[in-house]
Order: sequence, then C-alpha cells, then structure tokens
Amino acid sequence: MTFRQARYDEPPVWELAAPTATPTPPPALVPGIPERFRRRKAVDWPELSELEVVRHYTRLSQMNFGIDTVAYPLGSCTMKYNPKVSEQLARRDGAAALHPYQPVETVQGALEILWRLESTLAKVTGLPEVSLQPAAGAHGEYAALLMVRAYFQERGELAQRTEVLLPDTAHGTNPASAHMAGFTTREIASVDGCVDVAALKAAVNERTAAFMLTNPNTAGLFESEIGAIAETVHGAGGMLYYDGANLNAILGVTNPGRMGFDVAHLNLHKTFATPHGGGGPGAGVLAATETLGPYLPVPRVVKRGRAYRLDYDRPKSIGKIKTGYGNFGLDLRAYAFLLAHGEEGLRHISRRSVLNANYLGAKLGKFLPRPFRTLVKHEFLLSGTPLKAHGVRTLDLAKRLLDEGYHAPTVYFPSLVDEALMIEFPETESRRELDGFAAAFERAVHDTPEHLHAAPQATSVRRVDEVLAARQLHLSRKDVRAASAQPS
Amino acid sequence: MTVPRALADSPGVGGASPFVDDLASAPSEVPHVPRWIPDDAETEASLLKEIGLTNAEELFADIPRKVRLGRMGLGPSHEEPEIVRVVDTILARNRPYTGFATFLGGRIAPRFVPAAVDAILLRSEFYTSYTPYQPEASQGMLQALFEFQSLWVELTGLDAANASLYDGATAAGEALLLSRRIHEGNRFLVPASLPWEEKSVLANYAAGTGIRIEEIPFDPRTGRLDLDWIRTQVAGGGVFGVLADVPNGFGHVDEGLLDLKATIGDVPLTVVADPLALAVLEPPGQWGADIVVGEGQGFGATPSFGGPLLGLFACRREHLRFSPGRIVGATNDADGRPAYTLTLQTREQHIRRSRATSNICTNQSLLALAFVVYATTVGPRGLADLERSLSEKARTLASALAGIDGLRAPRFDAPYLHEFTVEVARGTATGFLDRLRRKKVLGGHPLADPRPNASNPLGEVFLTATTEFVSDKEIAKYAKAARAALAHVPGSP
Repeated sequence: MTFRQARYDEPPVWELAAPTATPTPPPALVPGIPERFRRRKAVDWPELSELEVVRHYTRLSQMNFGIDTVAYPLGSCTMKYNPKVSEQLARRDGAAALHPYQPVETVQGALEILWRLESTLAKVTGLPEVSLQPAAGAHGEYAALLMVRAYFQERGELAQRTEVLLPDTAHGTNPASAHMAGFTTREIASVDGCVDVAALKAAVNERTAAFMLTNPNTAGLFESEIGAIAETVHGAGGMLYYDGANLNAILGVTNPGRMGFDVAHLNLHKTFATPHGGGGPGAGVLAATETLGPYLPVPRVVKRGRAYRLDYDRPKSIGKIKTGYGNFGLDLRAYAFLLAHGEEGLRHISRRSVLNANYLGAKLGKFLPRPFRTLVKHEFLLSGTPLKAHGVRTLDLAKRLLDEGYHAPTVYFPSLVDEALMIEFPETESRRELDGFAAAFERAVHDTPEHLHAAPQATSVRRVDEVLAARQLHLSRKDVRAASAQPS
Repeated sequence: MTVPRALADSPGVGGASPFVDDLASAPSEVPHVPRWIPDDAETEASLLKEIGLTNAEELFADIPRKVRLGRMGLGPSHEEPEIVRVVDTILARNRPYTGFATFLGGRIAPRFVPAAVDAILLRSEFYTSYTPYQPEASQGMLQALFEFQSLWVELTGLDAANASLYDGATAAGEALLLSRRIHEGNRFLVPASLPWEEKSVLANYAAGTGIRIEEIPFDPRTGRLDLDWIRTQVAGGGVFGVLADVPNGFGHVDEGLLDLKATIGDVPLTVVADPLALAVLEPPGQWGADIVVGEGQGFGATPSFGGPLLGLFACRREHLRFSPGRIVGATNDADGRPAYTLTLQTREQHIRRSRATSNICTNQSLLALAFVVYATTVGPRGLADLERSLSEKARTLASALAGIDGLRAPRFDAPYLHEFTVEVARGTATGFLDRLRRKKVLGGHPLADPRPNASNPLGEVFLTATTEFVSDKEIAKYAKAARAALAHVPGSP
C-alpha cells in the first residue's frame, strides 16, 4: 500500500491570531471579589473564529493515526475497533447530562447500567464482587493493592506482609502501583517466558502480601502452571492478583476466579472496546472474592426490588479513589459491547484473537526468531536481534512499518527478550489485514539498512529527535518564548 | 434479523424492567457473529488450516482442564437495533438535569459544551488513537496536548504542566506525593472544608507513605482558613505540604490564600483551582503556589454521571523530574522541522517501574483535547465574561434565597464566584433538596460525607451553583420551590 500521512505546517494555536489583533483587555473585577485577587493580565490566548479553531484541530487530527484509519498491532494494548453505536449512546442526554450528585431517584437508569455491567463482569471474571470505580487499569491495580493492605491491616499482618512479588514479564504499572501502595517489590525470573514456579516457591514467605500476574502473560503465553502458582501464593498466606490487560485471550475459556485469583483489574478500554482517546480516558474494573469484596471503594451500587441505590455503609471499604463512581461514559460503551456479543460472542472474540496471533506468528516467524514456544494466546513476541548484524534495531523496523500505513508493534517490552517486538491483532482485524501486515513486515525486514534508518518518510514528520526534546525541555509556549527571547 | 426472545416477549418500555436479566438468562439463540468480527467461517477455517490445526479448540491446548469454564451464564448476542433499544430503555429511567432548573456544581460542572468541541472530539483520528508513543504518526495529538499544557501553564502562572491525570481529586493526591518528594516531613495540611471525596482520595494516595493528613480549621463565619493555626503547625515542624482550594469547598474565594505562602515559607503549597475561576482571578503561581491542580471537566466535557473527568496538574520547573504523568515536549524531526514528542519518560512506570514517580499510564488525553478546544472556541474574553455572568447569576440567586425563612444563603460571609454554600435551618439538607426535586429543581448537593460513621460538624449545608442553563426564570422557580419546601417543615413559623 502506498501510504502518505497529511503534512500541514500547522503552527501552534497561539500563532493563528492576526498580528494586528488587539490584545484582550484584563478582565473587569467581579463584584464582591477583592481587588487583590483580580487577574491583572488577561489570559494570554488567541481570540479566534470558530472556523479557525475547527480547521486547526481538524488539520491536527489528520496528522494522527487512529484505529479507523490504520491497524494497531500493539501487544498488550488490544487496540480493537470501537463500535460507533457506543459513541452515539454515550452522547444521549440520558447518559451525558447526568451530574453525579443528582438524587438517586433521577439516575435509576445510570445505576442500572452500572449494576448490570458489574453483574456481567462478575460472571466474566468469576469473581463475585465488582466495582467500576477505577479510572484506568493502573488505578485499579493501586486500589486493589490498597484493599490487600486494608485486609492485612485488619488481620494484624500488615507490619509483616510488606512484599509484593511479580514476574519479570510484568507491566511497569505493577511494580509502580505496589510501590505507591507502600510495598517493596521483588521480581521472579521467568523460564522459557513463564513464571519459574520453583523460584516463586523459594521467594514466597510470611512477608508476601501478593503476587501480581498477567495471564496470558506479556510474552503471549498462558501460564499453564497457574494451579501450582495459586497454591504456592495462598500457601504462604498471600493474595493472588490478576492484571486483566490480556483478558481478551481467555473470555469464556477460563477466568481469574477459576484460576484462583483473589482480586483482579480489567481494562474496559482494551477487552471491551471503549476508545483509547489518544492515551485516555480508559476505565478500570475491580473484581474480588467475597473475602476482599468488603474492601472495595464506596459507594457500591445495590438493587432492592426494582430500585437501585448507592450504598456507603461499607465499614471496611478503602473509601474513595476518585470523584464520582468511575468513568460512566465508558461503562455505558462497554455495556453496549457486551450486549452485542453475549456468551457466544465473547468466546468468539478469544477464539479469533488467539487465531490471529497464531496465524500471524507463524507467518512472521519466518523473518525473525520467536523466543519461546509457538502456541501463543492473543499476542506473540519476535526478537529483532538478527537485525543488529546489519546495524538495524527493532526501533528502525517499527518506524519503517509506519511507512507501510501500520502502527508500530509494542517494542522493547518485555525486557527479558532482546530487541523485542510484541504483536497483537485483536479479533476485529480481518484476514486481509493480517496478510497485508505480513507483506508489509516482509518488505520492511528485507529493506536496506539505509532505508530503515531513514524511516519513517511517509508520516507528517520524520524521525523525531527525542534527545533534543529531553535536553531543551520546551514543555509549553512559555519555554518556547523564553528560548526565542534568549538565543543561545 | 432474529429478535432475542427476552426482547420479543417483553412488555416494552416502562415500570418493570423488561430486560433486567437479558444478558443473564435469555434463552440461547443460534449464535450469530457480531458484525464487529470480520470474515466468514470458511476464512477462519483457512487461517486455522494454514497453521496446521483442524479445530480452534487446539489453540487453547495450553489451558489446563481444571481451570476451564463451562458456560459463563451470559445471554445471547444482540444486533445493533436491539442494543439501541435496550440501552435507550434503560436510559429513559434517568432524568437528565436538562429537564430541571439545575443548580448542581462543585468540582463537576454541568456547563454548556459548544457543538464545535464535540465535532473535534468525534474526529476518529483523535478518539480512536493510542497513546502517542510513536511521535511521527501522532503529531496531531501531541501538538494538541502541547497546546493544552501551555494553556494550563498560562492559567496557573506556573512553569510546566503534564498532559493530564484522572481527575481533580487524584491530581491532588499526586500533588501530595510530589510535595513529599521535594520537602522533608510527614504531615500534610488540608482544609477541613475540602469536599469529603477529595479528603478520602487524598487519604488513599497517602496510604502507602506513612504520613499524616491534618485538617486546617476555618472561621465559622467566613469559612476562611485559619492562617495562625497553619503558622503554628509549620513552626512545630514536620509539615511537608499544605493544600488549599479556590474556590474552596464552600464555593467561596478566601482572600487569605494570597497570604498563605508567606505563612508557610518554603513548605510546598498546592492549590486546587477551578479553571474558569482562573479566567478572572490572579494566577496561583503569582501568589506562591508550587503545584496547581484542578478538575477540568467543565471545559468542554459533559458530566456523564461523574466520568470521564480531567485531572489538571502544573508545577515548578525545578520539581519536574519528581512530577507524575506524561509530558509532551517540543523538538525537531530529522529534517529540522518542528515536531512534538513525549519526554522526561524516565520518570514513568514503563521505564522506571517501582521507582517511577507515579503508576499512571492511561490518562485523560481526549478530555485534555476537549479542554483546549473549548477554551480556544470560547476565547479568553469569553471565559472571563462567562465567569462574570455566572457570578452575577449567583448573586441574584443568593438574594432570592436570602429572604427565605429557614435558609441561610450564603452560609458564609465571604466573596464568591459562581457557587456558594447554603444552610438549611430547619430539617435536613437532603430532605430540602428532595422536596425541590419534586418541583423540578435540582438545588445543589449536600456537603456531608454520606458514610454512616462520618463526622459532619457543619450540619445541614449544601453547595449551589449557576451555569449557562440558569436564567432569572430558573432562579424564581428555585425561590418559589424553596419557600414551599420549607413551609411544611416542622418548626415553621
């Protein structure tokens, strides 16, 4: 495919105002506000017409990849199609024009959506107690670890249980969340891409608060020893935590409850197709056993007869983790997605996403080595190590794929694989797209080192100088203006 | 199209919940492939065959029998018309604030969103895009976020802003953690008047640190922070940060905040600020704030029952390396053309792991885009005019309520902008607001912490606010409903 991204020389928005425009005068004093508090200079931002604003941001949009225009083979990110019907429904007045502090009598439908989604996700996860309050996956991890903390505190074990264990394939958010929650972290080495159960057995003890695991893991492999892992962690009195980033692979096949996990987070913006929005908003889900359920954030949505209400009477609850009840707009989109698929549809998702990964893994395995076993779940790893002999890095290959009209795979993660590329094509990508990507990958991997180093060429800008960005630290207009006032 | 039986047999919209268990117990239909999954069965079979498999079940051979599931117990799939019908039926049980005279506010504001803003948010290149880790293919979002950061820097008077956090409350939590990194101590002071949800979120962000959060008392007449108390605490040692808000949890503007930094010296000051208020108020950076956070939903996003929201965060340059969240920086591309990229990533979880400054990964980029598109559509003069106009309406509202026996409006003798606190002298705030609701008025929200064992020394108070949707007509309706509501309360004259 011949691909060219739009390339506008679009200046920053503050350069769009006519140079002859009169500066905005300082705002008049608002009656009653002390003169000392009055803004002495108007907000320095351009006065533009609506067309000027719309054209500017529309042009910017055309210099941005999105799922509607290109496929995203991003491992562990599950960039699937975001159904249009969900966007439409989330914009209904009955969903958007609701204030979280409206009386519950006026938001029965919203509470019903939350309640139904929670009930559905309890079945999907096999964990009975569900809260939709986290704003994102990492936020859910943090809340879950606070719940674990509160649980051990109540049992008088918190002073002793200070350590969270995680495999070396864990997402970076796992150790970061554990640290924020006041735990120390220890990595368990993997063998052939999976947790070394012997190493885990040696590591657990009376200090273990939790073991955090993604299954299938970030190497795309199902941790088949999950039974032994659960037994080991529970045997030491610790909690088993499920990172739901890769749930797309196992819907209806297994679930965290069945695997012995005590608490889980899910990402509605991965498995349940809510849009990523250029990095957010997401929506996190917390699911827990009956033991940990009482520690979930308040309020919980409860149903009595036909009426729904918000229950704050949860004495063991960790309290609030954000304002409101979660990202309702995204919960609604996820509910519509679940309604569309039902039981069989969810199974189909996993079957197809796993099929896509195994099919593409077999194809691309001809060009670059696959570090571990070849039966993968929804994603697979390649190593760009052989390219190094030609002076080419995985990063070059990733940039070259942009020129083919594909987003780059996840690169340099997990770190246990040298020059890693992690590839995931969710169920919404067709055979034609898989074959197209395989052909593009073949062209890219066989391209000359010169071309690979010079990539990308078809994007709105060429290879971006990240070193310069970090050195000059121009993080806003203020810095840019200060620098141009004092040329170095 | 097959209509699932649960729907076909349902009595329709209304009272009983006809679809209540449609996902759970509806009879299984012939499974149909949601049209979001491409290709026919033959094509799927061809993919299997090419990798040497005959049955899709073989793809799951690595999942042990003992963890396998039977049925999950979900219902059948639904086609698009049914999805719309089911969801619309449920949503019909809501009564959006647009059908009321609405005076709800606080950090989350039911403000008007210009159509141009949503038109940009519906550009799929923005809303379906991933985090801009591949800058060459993501210049649009990166530039928009750079403009967003520039705008929050301009509004706050600080040096640098990040590309968003989850919401105002979690941004305050991150401010607490940043304060701890840049100053010694184990005590963090927050106003007793801070909204209870924010206090609870702060407590959770502090849970892993072993620090203590202490509440700053306020003057019962004006709601102003007790600066002498703060001075004493700081002198006593161990205070690593102080947080204050403008408008405060009562909706008022506390003039004493202008002297707060002088009171606490080199202890970091975090200010929680309403972005609209900053269109008319002196930027907190000018009066000593070291960190300014806030809730940005009111700029271009609907309340959506409380999410998604937008966490705003700005700090001083010297503290950047200890600060949370993604940051966009300006740079050049290989041809020397201007370009943008994520920078300072060595602070973040995907690089630094357990030593990251925060665990945040997914943020609120799309809301940050809404924020900057909104502010640019309305313009700086428009923003100041809007705050001024809402403030005038708030004064009209206060006058209309002040004469009503049984209400104290405003409760505090202090300046305010678009919101203020009202005290209900007879009965409960919740009861009063509920009676207003029956008269099609959403009069505000109670400030009490609703948890059973919470202490609520302020008594029966609620916050009321004005928006573009409020005119003299709604204010008159409010006053009339308030009089009627109080007339029936025991203790009435």
